[in-house]
Amino acid sequence: MSGPVLAHIGHWWTSILYVAPVVVVVVWLALQSWRAKRRDPERR
Amino acid sequence: MRRRALAAAGVAAGLALLLPATAAAHGLVGKQDLPIPRWLFAWGAAGVLIVSFVALATLWPSPRLQELRERAVWRVPGARALEVLGGAIGVVVFAVVVYAGLAGSQSPQENLAPTFIYYVFWVGIPFLSFLVGDVFRLFNPWRAIARAVAWAATRIAGRGALPEPLEYPRALGRWPAAIGILAFAWVELVYVDRDDPSTLAIMALAYAAVQLVGMSLYGIDPWLRNADPFGVTFSLLSRLAPLRWHDGRLLARRPLAGIVGLDPRPGTVALVCVMIGTTSFDGFSMGTVWNDVAPDLQRVFMDLGIGAETALQIAFTIGLVAMVLLVAALYRLGVEGMRTVGEAHSARELAGAFAHTLVPIALAYLVAHYFSALTYQAQAMAYLISDPLGDGSNLFGTASASIDYGWISANAIWYVQVGALIVGHVCGLILAHDRALALYRDVRAATRSQYWMLVVMVGFTSLGLWLLSAASQ
Repeated sequence: MSGPVLAHIGHWWTSILYVAPVVVVVVWLALQSWRAKRRDPERR
Repeated sequence: MRRRALAAAGVAAGLALLLPATAAAHGLVGKQDLPIPRWLFAWGAAGVLIVSFVALATLWPSPRLQELRERAVWRVPGARALEVLGGAIGVVVFAVVVYAGLAGSQSPQENLAPTFIYYVFWVGIPFLSFLVGDVFRLFNPWRAIARAVAWAATRIAGRGALPEPLEYPRALGRWPAAIGILAFAWVELVYVDRDDPSTLAIMALAYAAVQLVGMSLYGIDPWLRNADPFGVTFSLLSRLAPLRWHDGRLLARRPLAGIVGLDPRPGTVALVCVMIGTTSFDGFSMGTVWNDVAPDLQRVFMDLGIGAETALQIAFTIGLVAMVLLVAALYRLGVEGMRTVGEAHSARELAGAFAHTLVPIALAYLVAHYFSALTYQAQAMAYLISDPLGDGSNLFGTASASIDYGWISANAIWYVQVGALIVGHVCGLILAHDRALALYRDVRAATRSQYWMLVVMVGFTSLGLWLLSAASQ
């Protein structure tokens, strides 16, 4: 399966750039929640 | 729970990557000459959403849209006669389209039926609906026929002599509409004979028959509010309009205010997910990723002894359903994220309470996806109305008209598409923020509840731009 996927990599690698904003927001939210948890260990 | 939400985010992002994108399949897009790469538009759009989110959290501290205020701006003279006239026009147009499909040339380009059904009806009416309200209700031919039959039956049999309609099952809600739109999308995007005029005409007749039977069993309005797929969809989009026609009066309201009162009965979330997912698949199916995957998927079914054509339709059906499920999964992610705030709202309750926030996104996808098709293909109506059967007639002297592909540039189309996606998602954020303020105990909790909704909105925006980009290449 990885063979065909890699063979077509030229077709879809730029797609990763479209996912980047989602990843950035998810990482930022995870960071926020980690910092909040550190400040207040009682919080879920 | 948070770990689950993070895992779901990863899965959704991964799926979105594997199932790249969507928005211009039926669009006819020329070569663009953009000043920056297309992916930078996705980054810019995400930036706009994040800034909007922060601005809402700081500048919008209390609910402002939850109460619907409308004011009458015009009493329509002869409203009753206008309604009868609108219905009659709808019936005549329906009859002409069906007749053209059955009796006219079977070339899709020469026959009125395919262009009318796919562009004027399916694309044009939604555009009109969000601009001036629920116009389809006025022209709905099935409603007009049912009302005429009910009126005649009452006159003949006498008032009270006819049996009362059955009660529409509450559990069904808008599910028939969701399934109907999915079926229409299947015909439009998967079925091999989708452009065949006579097949379309027969399907239109079958659709009308189902609507008439449904209305006779459950009553005209209960059926139209829940189970007429096109009627329900157009009505849903018309709630975004600043105008509403009611009881012979034209009412004005604040933008977005009309959609806030959407009743989240069963099937509502499914319907909106179907609207977004099917539009997405339309674009996705034109991109290189799907064109790499589809032949492999087709071969799997051909190896089972299924014919090539059927195998391809099965592959496309899987793609279509997968895209709808991806959209539903993204929305579910937002709902699960809201539950992490800790207040006792069930997932079902939250899914219903925020369902209306997806409607501007569905409209944004529709505009982004079909804008170019509408601007070009709708021009074909100029010659098709003069020669609806494609037999060489020239009823209105416009049979020699042609489509002007140069009236709007490819760049302008791109900017309209990007603008529609951004505005639609910002509207979704506004609606979600306002609803969260009404549901949660304070601004802080409401804002925290919307963190994952922000992820969903950024995800939908990136997906939409990815699809547009894929279909433009």
